[in-house]
Order: sequence, then structure tokens, then C-alpha cells
Amino acid sequence: MTSGAPNLIPVTVLTGYLGAGKTTLLNRILTEDHGKKYAVIINEFGEVGIDNELIVNADEEIFEMNNGCICCTVRGDLIRIIGGLMKRSDKLDGLIIETTGLADPAPVAQTFFTDDDVRAKTKLDAIVTVVDAKFFQDRLKDSQEAEEQVAFADVILLNKTDLVSADELKLVEAKIREINKYAKIFHTQNSQIPLDQILDRGAFDLQRILEVEPHFLHDHHHHEHDGDITSISVTLDGPVNPERFRMWISAVLREKGQDILRSKGVLAVDGDDRRLVFQGVHMLMDSNFGQPWREGDKRASKLVFIGRNLDGVALKRGFDACAQKR
Amino acid sequence: MNTVPAAKAPPRRDVALDAYVVGLAYDAAGNLAVATGAGKIAFMPADPLSSEAPREIVAHRGASLSFARDADGKAFLSGGDDGRLARVTLDGSVTELLNTKGKWIEAIAVSERRNLVAATAGRSVHLLAGDARHELGPHPSTVMDICFSPDGSRLAASHYGGASIHLTARPGEKPRTLAWKGSHLAVRYSPNSKFLATATQENAIHVWRLASGADMQMQGYLTKVKSLAWSFDGNWLVSSGTELAVCWGFAGKGPEGQPPMELETSSVAATVTQVAAHPAAPFIAMGFSHGAIEIADLAKKRVMPLAEPTDSPVSAIAWSSDGWRVATGTEAGQLRLFDLKPQA
Repeated sequence: MTSGAPNLIPVTVLTGYLGAGKTTLLNRILTEDHGKKYAVIINEFGEVGIDNELIVNADEEIFEMNNGCICCTVRGDLIRIIGGLMKRSDKLDGLIIETTGLADPAPVAQTFFTDDDVRAKTKLDAIVTVVDAKFFQDRLKDSQEAEEQVAFADVILLNKTDLVSADELKLVEAKIREINKYAKIFHTQNSQIPLDQILDRGAFDLQRILEVEPHFLHDHHHHEHDGDITSISVTLDGPVNPERFRMWISAVLREKGQDILRSKGVLAVDGDDRRLVFQGVHMLMDSNFGQPWREGDKRASKLVFIGRNLDGVALKRGFDACAQKR
Repeated sequence: MNTVPAAKAPPRRDVALDAYVVGLAYDAAGNLAVATGAGKIAFMPADPLSSEAPREIVAHRGASLSFARDADGKAFLSGGDDGRLARVTLDGSVTELLNTKGKWIEAIAVSERRNLVAATAGRSVHLLAGDARHELGPHPSTVMDICFSPDGSRLAASHYGGASIHLTARPGEKPRTLAWKGSHLAVRYSPNSKFLATATQENAIHVWRLASGADMQMQGYLTKVKSLAWSFDGNWLVSSGTELAVCWGFAGKGPEGQPPMELETSSVAATVTQVAAHPAAPFIAMGFSHGAIEIADLAKKRVMPLAEPTDSPVSAIAWSSDGWRVATGTEAGQLRLFDLKPQA
């Protein structure tokens, strides 16, 4: 477990199916007068019509790591490009990575857990997924990527809400919630959103995870099929034993990491006033001490898993066994 | 263990450049130039210990990413994230040799023997032979590093999945490919041209015997290996990536089945980030992640400290052609220039 390092450049990963509104959002980030310096890595088909030396065009070069971890793929081009950007003299306030509409977000996120140089300079802040309110249901039928992009998201822009009725919007949002109960959802038109809602939010805004209790799904009856992506959470009323937790979560991710797309959590530990913030992508994980608990906070521990074939009972039992004995 | 008398520290000059030191090179006459992340080239005064300030010129709009002495030994080459390969001379003039329209130029190689220059740009390598320009590739992925064989007849490019070897006299021909899964970050020919070594993302180095195509994998590094150096005589291959000087022996039958010679360094909790071989003696200059500089003496099998830590990783090292001077730079822009000639 590493301690929180200062001055790491926050990285926002921007995903979304073709035509959902990513380019519109990028153009706003690049042209709005926000007083910040962002480097933007766009994909080779990117259509950002702006000349800016901090826009880097990238091939999405997905490398399998020759390290024995079967699902460990990284974006080799990102390792290289981030290395190059870190040589520059201008101080960056953030880094935004656009992926192609068909991209699996896992290799991008895994790059930030895997490469030592990348980890020393940057931190993954949030995965932001732009969803087209009108066509999302169709996309779910014809592409696995659309579902996975929602599953990976920390923040979802449910965009083009002006093109659907209020009832249609409710249905789309319920569909998103079936996949990912814990992402923050914003309704937008033309990708209009204050940028501080999506950039540099700090460790995925994980505090929210403790607060979200997705009861609104209970009246929406849904039969899960094998292979559907869902999300579940497990909680403990008190602190965890860090060593026991580390061993347990390592084993869970090693055995089920192919099915678990995302795992994240906020943990209380005895002897530290800060939240231990945990996040994982497939088999890789990282944890840091985050913000201190506030006065009056209930120091509970909570984990969220998003993936396929999740065994909630077994995860609950395993997490319970990590409780700090008094 | 025996004690050795503490050697007198060699004279040195420290200079703060306030930008990432991307590359260092001495020209044939011994003039030192430095390329930085600010896109500038700094020329150091001819007397390495003079307190005169360096002269700086701007070579790139963004950062310089690669730097080398030109094939004629009289000027320097800088590749940038603006897609330009520039030749810069001591008088401050800048000539654009190549413009790849925004594709970063991340590695440069030169062959003094054949007066050739090569530069990477994405999946291509540009070969400059006099006024002729050849584009080699595309390779299977972005080219990470390039080097010429000692006689300049071949150009090796490392990339994801291995390395490609081009014949410089027949640049249109399909290259010979050497395959090994993984991302190959650096490539170096052995001085006798018998071996090609690559450094990989997967905390290992890989070496091919070029005559037979047989290959070997050396593992156990703490981190990815970014820097490789063959000793001048080709007897040793030294690399970054651990806290030790790890030296693979290539004299005699080669390293197969043999453990490497591991020399203790005085650095604690720091890993080697850069290695550079002396041009004519069995010394390797090593820079560390905490900024210290040490020199491995491969004949006496010991490592001597040269400079203390600075808290910024060493990002570049260069020896002068005569081997009496060595210069080092860090990510934070601290330059250290050493004069190793015995003082009268």
C-alpha cells in the first residue's frame, strides 16, 4: 500500500460510443477560458479542429504485458506520450485521454496501475463516459463496448437529453443503473457541463460511494442473464484489518479479475484519520490514503464491484472476515 | 573486503538549467551541448570548469525529445515534439533536416563511419544519407529506439514485439525481424556486431546472437529497463533497472547459463536510471533515481562514487570522445560536468 503522493497530474479518461458527444466536450475543454493548462491525447481518428501543441495524436497501441498476468494489457503509446509530456517545461493542470468509440477502457486504466514512470507522475482521476440518450439502447444490443464503457465510468454524461422524451430518458437512466449503480450521472445537452464537475475530482470522488444506496432500482423488476454486467456493494460498519483485506482482495482479483471490470472502495483503518481509498481494474489495483474523515462521519468501510457473474454472498462473507477485531 | 584509499574527488562544475535534461553530447573537439525539455540547446563553455554561463538557443516550439552529435562530429542533432529534426551548430544556427508534421522525433542515431543519420517518427524511421531521404517502415508499432551497427551497414529499430534490422545500402528492402513478445524500449548493437540487445518494459533485457538468431532473456530487474551500454570492448553489457551494476559477460562463450557479475553500489533505495560506457576503457558511468553518479570499473570489479544524490533522477550521461570528461543531467535540470584527467 502506498501513501498519497502530492503533485501528481490528474488524468481524465474520456470514453463514449461514436457520435455520443466526446468531440464536442473536448472542443469545449480546449477552447473555454478556464485558466488551466490541459494536455489532450486524442485518438488517431479524432476530429478536434484546433491547433494546439498540447494536443497529441495517438495510435491506440495496446500491448500485452509479457509478465504472466493474462488480462494485463496496457496502452504502450500512453506510456511513451506521458513520458514525453513530462519532459516539457510547462506545468500541466491535467491530462485528458480520449479513446475511440469502440475502445475497451481497461488497457487505458491499467496503464496507470502498471508503469512505474507513469505512476510516479500522474494519477487516474476519473473515467468519464458520454452516453447518447437517444441511441444508447440500440448500442447495447449491437456492441459489448457500449456496455463496458458504462460499467467502467465514474462519471456519466447522459447527453442529447433534448432528443428524447422524459419517459425515454427515465428508461435509459434505469438501463445505465442496471449496469453501474455508482457512477455520478449528469444530464446534458450538447455536452454542456461545468468542467470542474468532470475534471480533477480527486480519487474518483469515492466518498460518494459511501453515500449511494441504490434503492430506486428495487421497484424496477429486472431479470439478469448470465454475462450481464451488474454492480454490487459490500459494507462493514467499522474499520478493516489492512493486512487481511490486502490478502483477501488480492486473491479475489487474481481469481475473478477477468469478470470484475472495476472495483473501488473507501476503507476505515485503525490508527489513521484518513480514508484508505482503493481502486482496481480487472486484476490490478492500487490504494492510497485520501481525505481525512470528517467530524461526525461514521467510519465505515465499503467496497463496490462492477462486473459479470458477481457472487455477492461470497464477496460479503470475504469482506466480513476482513473486519478489524476489537 | 579491503579498504582502498579515498580517491580525491575530480574537479567538477554544477550548472542549473531549470528544464528537464533530455540529452547531452560532446562534439569531436570536446564542446558540450545540452538539449532540454524547454526545447532549447545550451552550449557549455569550452573550458569545462569555467564559471561562464552557457549560451542557449531555441530549437523547438515544445520539448526536445532526442539529442545526438551529428555524423560529422561538428554539430548536434535535436529531435522535438514539434516533429522537427534540427541540426544546430556552435555558432547558434539551426537548420531543419526533417519535418514530420507533428509526429514526435523520439530517437536519433548516427553512423560516423558512413555519414548516416536516422530519426524515428511514429512507426517510421527516416534515414538521411547525404541529400537522400528514405522512410523505413511502417513497423508493427511506434519505434521506441534505433541504432546503427558499428560499421553502419545496418540499422536496428526496436518496437512492440521485437526488433527490425534494415540494410542501410538497400533501404527499400524488407527488414530482418527478430521477434520477442513485449515492448522493446532501447536497442544496442554490441561493438563486435555479433549481438543485438534490447531493454524491455517487462523488467528484462533480451539479446539475440545475430549469426544464428538464437536469443536469450535476462530477467530479475526491479523496474523496466530503459538504458543499455556495452563496454567499449564488448565484454560486458550493463543496464539500468536495479540498485546494482548488473554486468552480463559476453567474453568467451557468452552469458548463457551464467549469472551476471553484480557490483555493489553505494546507493541505498535508489535504482540505476542511466548507463553510459567509456569510449576506450572498461568503465561505465551510472546515474541513479535519486541523482547520484557512480562509476563501475569492470576490470577491478568495483564501483566508485562520483557525485552525491540530488533528489532528481539522472536523465542523461555523455562521455567526451577522449574519455577524460563526463557530463550528467537530471530531470530537474541539474548539470554536473566532471574533468577526470589526472591533475598535475
